[in-house]
Amino acid sequence: MTADDDLPPENPAAALRLIDEQRATAARQFEPDPRAYYWPWGLAWLIGFGLHFLYFSPGDVPLVEMPSWLPLTTLFVLLAAAGAVSAVAGARAYGQVAGESAQRGAWYGWSWGLGFLTLFVLAGRLSDSLPPDLVGLLWSALAVGLTGILHMAGGAVWLDRTLFLLGVWITVVNLLGTIAGPGWHALVVAVAGGGGMLLAGLLGWLRRRGRQ
Amino acid sequence: MTELDPVIHAQARLRVVASLSALPDRDQVTFPRLQELLGMSAGNLSVHLRRLEEAGYVAVTKTHRGRTPTTLIALTSRGRLAFEEYTEAIRALLAPAHTKETP
Repeated sequence: MTADDDLPPENPAAALRLIDEQRATAARQFEPDPRAYYWPWGLAWLIGFGLHFLYFSPGDVPLVEMPSWLPLTTLFVLLAAAGAVSAVAGARAYGQVAGESAQRGAWYGWSWGLGFLTLFVLAGRLSDSLPPDLVGLLWSALAVGLTGILHMAGGAVWLDRTLFLLGVWITVVNLLGTIAGPGWHALVVAVAGGGGMLLAGLLGWLRRRGRQ
Repeated sequence: MTELDPVIHAQARLRVVASLSALPDRDQVTFPRLQELLGMSAGNLSVHLRRLEEAGYVAVTKTHRGRTPTTLIALTSRGRLAFEEYTEAIRALLAPAHTKETP
């Protein structure tokens, strides 16, 4: 033990400053950066579904010519990258913490995994008997819908208003896009869905900076 | 003048307790993570944790994660209360000065 850090703070103001700074530092480290959590997914949706809209456009002719494999490949690569970034950010924040938060996180993770497994099996079974444009809509509307619902559930688990409202927003956008039909769905999910995620990350980040 | 809790009223232990108070209830943090967050040496942190544990403010749990032995640390409810009371006492000491500054 060094002698000086066993001393009391110089005065009450210094003590209060020390408390505030230390709590802010700790809170920042125990929570992942909202930008790392939302922005990669928002960009993946914006670019991935954006390319989908440009190639699998409403009507029969692509708005922009590109190799047919490009939209789906881009979407999957960007989604995988987003998963990796948020996994690293989450592990950094939660990896060395045990207890109820870890339990919530693990069970929430299982909900995502089993939810998407259900989706893959179901959509896979139906895909053969649908026309190609509806197959695309089926997969993306189910995936986006599940994402919206799981965001709402996450908001309920952590009492996180941003996360819950983002879930509501994604769900509404997905419903409107589904009603509008193939092609349009990709456009609204890219712009409103991806944009919503970027905005959620920005709001979360601003709130976190405001706390410091 | 209010008596300040001598266990918390030391810079290093105040930093430990303030950091732990930022964890959600019923969560624990590993020793290395807390050490990294505080930038203290392992020996130094151990000494302060022992003092806090003796006062009943901190719970130290030794467990295993897989095969790796892990030490988990959390504030007890008594420790949380003591920290809140300490913070209140500090604010009370500052309050008269503040009212003078702001008319």
